[in-house]
Amino acid sequence: MAVPEAVELVDIALKATTAYERPDLATRLQQTRARLSDPNVRVLVVGEFKQGKSQLVNALVNATVCPVDDDIATAVPTLVRHGDETTVTLVREGGGSDERTPVPVERLAEHVSEAGNPGNRARLTRAEVTLPRKLLSSGLVLVDTPGVGGLGSAHGAATMSALPTADAVVLVSDASQEYSAPELEFLRAAMKLCPNVGCVVTKTDLYPHWRRIVELDEGHLHDAGIDARVIPVSSALRLHAALTQDMDLITESGFQELVGFLLRKVVARADDLDRTSVGQDVLITCRALSATMRAELISQEDPERAERLAGDLEEAKTRVDALRQRSARWQTTLNDGIADLIADIDYDLRDRLRTVSREAEQLLDDADPADIWDQFAEWFHRQVSQAVAQNFVWTTERSRWLAEQVAEHFAEAIDVQLPELRIAGGAVAGKVDSLEMPVGEKFGAGQKLFVGMRGGYGGMLMLGLASTVAGFALLNPVSIGAGLLFGAKTVRDERKRLVQRRQAEAKGAVRKHIDEATFQVGKDSRDNLRQIQRELRDHFTMLAEELSTALAESVVAAQSALRTDADRQKRIADLNAELERVESLAERARSLAGAVASP
Amino acid sequence: MSGPDRSPQHPMDLTASVRQLLRRTIEAYADSPQAAGWLQHHLDRFGEPLRVAIAGKVKAGKSTLLNALVGEQIAPTDAGECTRVVTWYQDAPSPKVRMFPRNGPPRPLTITRHRGALSFDLQGVPVEQVDRLLVDWPSQSLRTTNLIDTPGIGSLSADTSARASAFLTPDDSPSPADAVVYLMRHLHAGDVRFLEAFHDRGVARATPVNTIAVLSRADEIGVGRLDALTSARRIARRYRGDEKLRGLCQTVVAVAGLLAESARTMRQDEFTALSELAALPRADVESMLLSADRFGRTELDRPDGDTRVALLERFGLFGVRLGTTLIRQGVTDSSALTAELIRRSGLDELRTVLANQFAERRDLLKSRSALLAIDLVLTREPRPSAAPLRAEVERILAGAHEFVELRTLSALRGGAVTFSPDAAEDAERLLGGDGGSPAARLGLAPGTEPGDLHAAAREALSRWKRRAESPLTGRSSADAARVVVRSCEGILATSAPYR
Repeated sequence: MAVPEAVELVDIALKATTAYERPDLATRLQQTRARLSDPNVRVLVVGEFKQGKSQLVNALVNATVCPVDDDIATAVPTLVRHGDETTVTLVREGGGSDERTPVPVERLAEHVSEAGNPGNRARLTRAEVTLPRKLLSSGLVLVDTPGVGGLGSAHGAATMSALPTADAVVLVSDASQEYSAPELEFLRAAMKLCPNVGCVVTKTDLYPHWRRIVELDEGHLHDAGIDARVIPVSSALRLHAALTQDMDLITESGFQELVGFLLRKVVARADDLDRTSVGQDVLITCRALSATMRAELISQEDPERAERLAGDLEEAKTRVDALRQRSARWQTTLNDGIADLIADIDYDLRDRLRTVSREAEQLLDDADPADIWDQFAEWFHRQVSQAVAQNFVWTTERSRWLAEQVAEHFAEAIDVQLPELRIAGGAVAGKVDSLEMPVGEKFGAGQKLFVGMRGGYGGMLMLGLASTVAGFALLNPVSIGAGLLFGAKTVRDERKRLVQRRQAEAKGAVRKHIDEATFQVGKDSRDNLRQIQRELRDHFTMLAEELSTALAESVVAAQSALRTDADRQKRIADLNAELERVESLAERARSLAGAVASP
Repeated sequence: MSGPDRSPQHPMDLTASVRQLLRRTIEAYADSPQAAGWLQHHLDRFGEPLRVAIAGKVKAGKSTLLNALVGEQIAPTDAGECTRVVTWYQDAPSPKVRMFPRNGPPRPLTITRHRGALSFDLQGVPVEQVDRLLVDWPSQSLRTTNLIDTPGIGSLSADTSARASAFLTPDDSPSPADAVVYLMRHLHAGDVRFLEAFHDRGVARATPVNTIAVLSRADEIGVGRLDALTSARRIARRYRGDEKLRGLCQTVVAVAGLLAESARTMRQDEFTALSELAALPRADVESMLLSADRFGRTELDRPDGDTRVALLERFGLFGVRLGTTLIRQGVTDSSALTAELIRRSGLDELRTVLANQFAERRDLLKSRSALLAIDLVLTREPRPSAAPLRAEVERILAGAHEFVELRTLSALRGGAVTFSPDAAEDAERLLGGDGGSPAARLGLAPGTEPGDLHAAAREALSRWKRRAESPLTGRSSADAARVVVRSCEGILATSAPYR
């Protein structure tokens, strides 16, 4: 559940805006309220093939939901969340509308494992499972993902692109061996997209040396500069303990620590973020309210000063209005930043793909494409997806940094010009934070990239390559069986010419494909960056508008000094009482936000 | 391909002609010490045992499997990454270890034994300076085969990986190993990438005929359950049918390396401990075996905690589980248990495959390595006097039916030539895919009557003649069918008809 006190506070603040007739302040609070109503905290369970990811999820929820098999791997991500009843729904996204099919629980395996759905032939986006479990009732959503098989594989890229919208990542690796190079490479990239990482070492029941492995893993993490905890667990013991209710076994299984990590480091962290951002949102509202009241109070107490105050406020309003102009510094930062970013990202993508292209041509120069085409196509695909995935990581990192810059410049401008309406830098940062961790899918930058990559690279370009392969003059009867062993020696000149032609054609196909990838992925990331630009602009423009309205109200308030002393005294008393009330609301907001920092 | 009039060459003839060609080439290049040295090395190699490299991803269980094959704990093993230097094991009258640094002469190392296993001290030489270690070890198992242990691929120390790849697929020369046993755990993108690397570099070496794959640590696939190996064998079978793997290796075998190693080196005290465990009530043992920790920790006098920890280390949970079950089912002495454990570990199957695929083709594989070496010299240092030599290389290549068979096998496995599944299987067998003996080629049991062999061969011959001559058969398939026909003729030539 979302933090109840946060929800309550927003509701009170909303009532206050109605009571003080300030609907202008209500819009943002309503958005906050909507964000809170989606309490999901998503945890991605990732790792190489056959490390026990599905079994880990099963042990966590103490139910056999995700299919586990010695051989067959998971093909479709499975999302496990809280629900009053056990249900399974298959989701196929596409063309704007989602197709949702409920299926019986015991038939899930037929749809999500490689056996029933090899290579995800059924094109399912995910399976959703609801279970009545206490652990999940905190809003925790566990996502069992297909094994990544390295950063460059299709699953790796898909997992990677889902990371920015996740609240935490659990990397699963079994106790049979220490981390391998591909695992660490994946982890390093994942940290950049989702810094909240837990490392789970599974199957400790099977390996007497699991303590050594945990030590070695900790060493590798330390060497790689990754700050993450290693949690050794045994899913088998946990499941067995659930049957026998043996407390010793539960302790030995290590799940208490894992559950503790999920609740304290993941769910609690998401809740903390809610608290901070809600506290600050309400605080801003309170300040806007009290600013108007204080302006009136000052002019009531000392009518002489009213004119001057009104003048100052008017001036301040002009300056705040200037913030809404395109020439404002934060706007320049944003627009220039996005333009630079688009250029850089585009260059980066081209550069990476050009390297792939060069290597590919080198490979094709060295061999007859007819012999190596299948392997080559797969290698090539992997290289391209890896390049795209790395480019994506970099895009995400850079755009986050830009958002912080913009927030900072905006906050600076306000600090300088409106000391008495000071917005704590943290308030803006808090909002940006929520952009970092989109609760719900509203800030869909990452999500869009995900879809973009799937639809763009994964979908269309796969087809693109398939068709180039089909049109390829590979099945030249002369070449068959040749070259596989010693054939190269018997190649006649005429065959040499054929090889050269094939090489030229293969290179043409490579270049064409790289071209299309550059175009498609480039367009996707440009669109996404534009989207980020719009989101940021709208957000800060709205803040500026709010401020401007608040100042306008204050000007009116400052000019509304009453004629008679008696009326004035009464109004002053009223205002003081109102201010006190607003102040007490602000105090609650502060304590909500402060509760996070203190413990 | 080759003229149908030429009769099939015997492997000995092939070896002899390749040797002679090697000598002639050495004469022609006598003035080039580098080339001559390189060729002389290959000539010497001819007389040596077959070199089989054991490769695979880090922690795939390479050293453990090597120990299992030798039947002694000679390669050091550890829970963490262990083998960091390419290490050769060869048979010799007395044990000796020599280190070959990259620069400088070889140096002898002292052998120390640590809990039964050997360990080598590099005397402070950094691993990247060491080219290889050469271990002399008196062992029957090493007499016909030199085993080469390689560092893991996909190792965290990038350099260790690079050393493994450089050894197995050097950029500029034929591989120093004649054949490769590639260990893989559950199929992983990295594995296939490596197998690709092994085949892709240069067309000449691209052949799945000198690689077999082992699904290693097979007991762990089924998380140590008693039926784990059945599960592993099923997976191996699936891999054997996998298009991608078929094009990369001969076959896939599931082996539980740790079990095999420990079973081959089982001591009497270990058997006693296993028997004591088996004598306990079954429920007690099962509850102890819930986890490795529990097994070592449970309070029990006999076998005591230390013995149990040692037992677990050697056999793993699966081995202990299987061992006690077998004893309970009536296996009473340690040699019977050893035999049964080895059988169940899949080691026997692996040895059979090794014998069929490598040992039988030893001369062929050696000839192949040598021809590659000659070809490399001729290409690197072309000279007019070498022209007849090149013609001779081509003649041997085109004429030796063994090479034609290998090539056709590759084409069949790589999918370049297609038959119906049944016919493809038949063709592969007749071409020697399951072993070179007439019985293996005809899919009959070893020791089948010569008369039956002859009849079966005659039957196969007419079957494939029909296929080769059928106008419906495509050109490439017909070529392959003609190769099979010649193989059938070869079988007929060595077997007598009914009298």
